[in-house]
Amino acid sequence: MPRGRPWAYATMICPALIAVPRRTSLRTMNPARKRAHFEQMVMPHLNAAYNLAHWLTRNSHDADDLVQEAYLKAFRSFETFQGHDSDDGRAWLLAVVRNTCFTWLRRKGEHTAAEFDEQLHSMAQPTPNVEATLLNRAALASLRNCLEALPLEFREAIVLRELEELSYREISGIARVPVGTVMSRLARARKRLQECLAGAMDR
Amino acid sequence: MNRETPCETARILRENNDPALEEHLRSCLSCVINLNAPYYEAPAGLETKIRERLRSETAPLSRWRWIAIAASVLLAASIVGNVSLLITRTDPRQLVADEVLSAHIRSLAGTHLLDVPSSDQHTVKPWFNGKLDFSPPVKFLADFPLLGGRLEYLAGHPVAALVYGRNKHVINLFLWPATMSGPNAAVTRNGYHLQSWSANGMSFWAVSDLDETELRRFAAIYKQT
Repeated sequence: MPRGRPWAYATMICPALIAVPRRTSLRTMNPARKRAHFEQMVMPHLNAAYNLAHWLTRNSHDADDLVQEAYLKAFRSFETFQGHDSDDGRAWLLAVVRNTCFTWLRRKGEHTAAEFDEQLHSMAQPTPNVEATLLNRAALASLRNCLEALPLEFREAIVLRELEELSYREISGIARVPVGTVMSRLARARKRLQECLAGAMDR
Repeated sequence: MNRETPCETARILRENNDPALEEHLRSCLSCVINLNAPYYEAPAGLETKIRERLRSETAPLSRWRWIAIAASVLLAASIVGNVSLLITRTDPRQLVADEVLSAHIRSLAGTHLLDVPSSDQHTVKPWFNGKLDFSPPVKFLADFPLLGGRLEYLAGHPVAALVYGRNKHVINLFLWPATMSGPNAAVTRNGYHLQSWSANGMSFWAVSDLDETELRRFAAIYKQT
């Protein structure tokens, strides 16, 4: 018999007691600890969140507001993230930022033309080798304008792929479309971009 | 984000110190974007702003919020209390019961218990003639001897008070022509018991320090006689 340890007696009588006090789920965690846990997980990705928001909204003021809103939203649904600990939380955070921005843009009446564009050209032949052109200084200078001129969904795919260097699968999770759609969006975005840059070179 | 090695080809070219790298970085679209597109870094104050908003999100209720909640609870309780008080206060039967009890206590406190001390109902009943605009039914009850009668003023009009005894206890029976007929009621106030009933267009209120069963028996016998 264990001596002088009431807890040991208690667990002998009710083995369930062993498990109960050890576990602290997020739901029951005290708010300050939950917040600390959250900040530790998502604050390192603040630049990625802001970069995405800025590229989607195309201005710093709205990006600032929407990133704050997205962080609060993410914090409120932090429990749901615990289910899949597949990555470090960056993709999850970016998905929240992306949805916050899209909701805001749609409410603002932003045209999201890519859907129509995709349907129209879904049977398009493989894009020609557009990467052969050697870009000059003028083309590089107009890169930002060409990126901002892309339809929202194309711009999103390019930013996540080329700047955040996410995998197709991760992008498909964030944009909530199949991987095939991500690939076709990227290909079509590259083609448009190439045309835009080529146009800048001629001038 | 790794601006050193935008793509696999570039990495290999760089490792081999290949002069073709320069050309590649200007023709490979991935490299072009990765190296030349602006990467917007979060402005300096943004992180602090977010931390503050998260803190206020999880902050326990502030002192003022607690005071506001306490104030609302008190206000609600006060409204409930006042309304219930108003309802009981405005019940006319409750008001009459109060007056009946006061009259009873007054009659015992002073020397004015009886205007006409008599155990004879035929003496008591005529005494009220000319003093009231009605003739009270004065009854002889075997177990509750009649002690006499008195004129009383209750609920806005003159009423007859008949006084009966039971051992050392005094029973005041107030009666007057009914202005309203309510159901029979039994009320206990400050240790006194009250019984009220209506019969033959008259309202009756009996009040005494007798125990409740005895008083109820008194009322029953009076009604049957």
